[in-house]
Amino acid sequence: MKVIVPVKRVIDANIKVRVRMDGSGVELNNVKMSMNPFCEIAVEESIRFKEAGKADEIIVVAAGPQQSQETLRNGLAMGADRGILIQTDVDLEPLAIAKLLKAVVEREQPGIVLMGKQAVDNDNNQTGQMLSAMLNWSLGTFVSKIEVEDDGFNVVREVDGGLETVRLSRPSVITVDLRLNEPRYASLPNIMKARRKEIEVLTPDDLGIDVTPRVTVLEVTEPPARNAGVRVQSAEELIDKLKNEAKVL
Amino acid sequence: MESYARVVVIGGGVVGVSTLYHLAKKGWSDVVLCERSELTAGSTWHAAGLLPLFNMSYAVGQLHKYSVDLYKNLEEETGQDVGFHVTGNLRLACTRDRMDEYKKYCGTANTIEVPFELITPSEIKDLWPLINPDGLIGALYHPDDGHIAPVDLTNALAKGARDRGARIYQKTEVTGLNRTPGGEWKVSTSKGDIGCEHIVCATGNYSQTISRLLGISIPAIPVQHQYIVTDVVNELREYREGGGKELAVLRESDASYYLREERMGYILGPYEKGAPAVFADGVPSTFEKDLFPGDLDRLMPHVEAAINRVPSFETAGIKDIVNGPISYTPDGSPLVGPAWDIPNVWLNEGHSFGVTAAGGAGWQLAEWIVEGEPMIDLLAVDPRRYGDYARGPYLVTKNEEAYENVFTIHYPDEERPACRPAKTSPIHDRLATLGAVWGQRYGWERPNWFAPDGVEAVDDWSFRRSKYFEHVGNEHNNIRNNVGIIDITSFSKFRVSGEGAEDYLDGLFARRLPKKVGRIQLCHALTKNGGVRSEFTVTKDADGSYYLVSSGAAERFDYSFLQKHLPADKSVRLDNITTAFGTLVVAGPNSRRVLEKLTETDLSNNAFPWLTAQHIYVGLAPLRAMRVNFVGELGWELHHPIEYQRHIFEQLMEAGAEFNIGQCGMRAMDSLRIEKSYRMWGQDLTREYTILEAGLGIFVHMDKGDFVGRDALQNQLDNGIPQEFVTVAVEGVTDADPLGNEPLWDGEKMIGRATAGSYGHFLRQSLAIGYVQTGYGGIGTKLEIEILGNRYNCSVIENSPHDSSNVRLRS
Repeated sequence: MKVIVPVKRVIDANIKVRVRMDGSGVELNNVKMSMNPFCEIAVEESIRFKEAGKADEIIVVAAGPQQSQETLRNGLAMGADRGILIQTDVDLEPLAIAKLLKAVVEREQPGIVLMGKQAVDNDNNQTGQMLSAMLNWSLGTFVSKIEVEDDGFNVVREVDGGLETVRLSRPSVITVDLRLNEPRYASLPNIMKARRKEIEVLTPDDLGIDVTPRVTVLEVTEPPARNAGVRVQSAEELIDKLKNEAKVL
Repeated sequence: MESYARVVVIGGGVVGVSTLYHLAKKGWSDVVLCERSELTAGSTWHAAGLLPLFNMSYAVGQLHKYSVDLYKNLEEETGQDVGFHVTGNLRLACTRDRMDEYKKYCGTANTIEVPFELITPSEIKDLWPLINPDGLIGALYHPDDGHIAPVDLTNALAKGARDRGARIYQKTEVTGLNRTPGGEWKVSTSKGDIGCEHIVCATGNYSQTISRLLGISIPAIPVQHQYIVTDVVNELREYREGGGKELAVLRESDASYYLREERMGYILGPYEKGAPAVFADGVPSTFEKDLFPGDLDRLMPHVEAAINRVPSFETAGIKDIVNGPISYTPDGSPLVGPAWDIPNVWLNEGHSFGVTAAGGAGWQLAEWIVEGEPMIDLLAVDPRRYGDYARGPYLVTKNEEAYENVFTIHYPDEERPACRPAKTSPIHDRLATLGAVWGQRYGWERPNWFAPDGVEAVDDWSFRRSKYFEHVGNEHNNIRNNVGIIDITSFSKFRVSGEGAEDYLDGLFARRLPKKVGRIQLCHALTKNGGVRSEFTVTKDADGSYYLVSSGAAERFDYSFLQKHLPADKSVRLDNITTAFGTLVVAGPNSRRVLEKLTETDLSNNAFPWLTAQHIYVGLAPLRAMRVNFVGELGWELHHPIEYQRHIFEQLMEAGAEFNIGQCGMRAMDSLRIEKSYRMWGQDLTREYTILEAGLGIFVHMDKGDFVGRDALQNQLDNGIPQEFVTVAVEGVTDADPLGNEPLWDGEKMIGRATAGSYGHFLRQSLAIGYVQTGYGGIGTKLEIEILGNRYNCSVIENSPHDSSNVRLRS
């Protein structure tokens, strides 16, 4: 089975995100970028498939600026076999990414697209769903457990009320949640080996996809500063404040 | 925020907070710290937290030692855990030169009482079971060293400071620094203005931002430093779970990296080639508590070396690559002390080992601010050791050079190549054609020695006698037996004039000024404790002005001292004329015969005696000839308008041809002065020894009235002088002479330290000068001196073993 794992380059999750001076977006200059943590979980799972003999090739795919190669290299260092970069400086929206991925899937014919449920930069949580609809493939979202069967997948989904187990027919799009696994760190020799692995660079034009944004960003602002809390002396005082000041009781 | 504090400390990293803590500890509780963001936000938060005691510098070594001692007790004092892990520290050696470096360091360590051991490869393996010892010849082990949690340390110091009344304001950015008409400072901040007497800059990454506010250029900017943090390493976990104790911090100097344990994994920090300096124009507003992307290519050679040395590193998962800005200076040592040209501004900047240095640097800077003097000799970290050239591009290039040389072998005669030449004397190119091998001091190119025909003009650094030994010996003996030229254009020169000049200078020095026009005297400005602050050769001129000459490296240091004490009534004018005049020395028994061919002035001993100066012509050049020198022979220093230098030099070469006149470099000048026991400012004369201990009582006039340091000297005269200056002859040395910082032993008791040494090429004797406890200075006293780990017999000999009665000088 061939596995495609889309990976996204995002601001490192440990970095405080700042708005650009002119309010046009988020400051990306001189900011540490990393692979989206949910994508890391997807990469890890694909490697476990391969280690278990359930997958024979893992392709990591990124769409974005030239530096997204670093994100691909990271996936390759973890254990993916080759990478595809769809290079563009356009700020990509989920629909555009889904279309790009669809084009890659049609070329590569994988048995599964395994991807993060969302990226921590925009928190869209849309791409997987859109991709499955466009491919007309089965879809499992918020997945915290995957069993590979010969003709499909048994997956456990984290839903609002608890856990839902569903069976997906192959091929599938599966978007993964936090508790699926704990991704490994690449070792330095593997990081170096990853530099020699193949990365194919394409453009949206090569794939015949129009990625022009459909959403216009008017302004990006910092969230309002939170006022400092007050310390109350007793439960009575707390109840009183909740009733009379906050008016939530 | 209050409207006034005695001191405002700018910068809430570990260095600033430590300074605040120590000011409060000294009893100055009316002190405030302003931090633009939050405590530790600049570099402290991503520091690796190492506490290396190792440092080749006597001054920095003492600061580090104090820090480690302080940090040990901080939890008890403040109740804050600082995460101090005493793991020991192992510095590996693969070459003899590296072992020599450690052994040289051991001498310094002994003199400042830092415990250490030199251990063998099998002992290394015992201490560090996960190591591959192939290729190791030994290691230097510091049992007391370890690592600490930098943020916790900063918070503990902050608590200690607050407990003593100091205030810390976070999210308070300094936006302006201005002098008030009353002579104090107004610090403008984002939270309002605050007046103060003193400002301490501990701004780390923000040194250039604060430089702009101050109107000076602080010679410090950061360099990117990376370290790798690994996931759990199975071999290490097994070792530790099997009862193994935390591994010592490992430093493989020859592969330029450190490695320590962190949560059952490793932290690996290399000092790579090509790490860029950053923030030369200040910190961009977009950079907050941030890091740079990692650069694996730069790391790889060190990673490969680390995998070879610690095989379990190979399979370790790489959790993170931390690449953050760490402040550096051109020579890698911090800036601790007063700024120049502006009063009451103190720098605690450029700390590349900030966590280790913070305790000691805060301690001594607070001492300096409160008491007016530090307790230890801090010239090696004095901010005024740099001149105007140390700005912008110089900082970028030199700091990158300092970074990649953190772990190179620090030879005593090392000279680094970047940013050269900066300052040259007019005969620079001419001397180059004569084989000059150059060194650099305070930006000046100076010939260290001259390669004779057939010898490559390339330096050869060593802790032992090097390839240039023979050639330096020939230069040395040519001065003793014949005549040579020495270019000392780099020396600092000042002119002090005006009706108040005499009173002003008299107030600075421990001896009376020369009364007679043309008389030359050595004058010392002392510290409160009677130590030597500055040394000047002072000549009185016919117009009542004075001509002062001091060490080339002391230009800014001495100028700022002279400037600080100028009377307010403008009755004294101070001119720094360093670069207006060049200086060539003609010295040796034939020097008179050379020089008299070039001048109509009578140079006979009666007409031009020792320690006098005259304005004469040499060829076409009007100049000041001074019958003094630092080599102890008949000779003249020719202080000339710089534009005549080439002319004078060619005249001397032509007139000296019949004598085979030669050149003499700095290294021969040094060995020549050791044969005369001449003390060098900054090396043998420092604030740590009083001028009486230095045996220079003849340069002190206790009866002249009050002067700085007089009380301390009187106290020593009344109650005894604890140490005395000695010259010792070292026996049995065949290839490694003393160089300075060697301990002197009486059996197992360390009773003193050599401050300088050399082979005396004329006396054919290895020599050292230094200080011993009083009682050990008698002629003939047998001692031992430790050179590169070995002890040699030595005996105290008469000072100035060459020409002790100065017959040659007076001839």
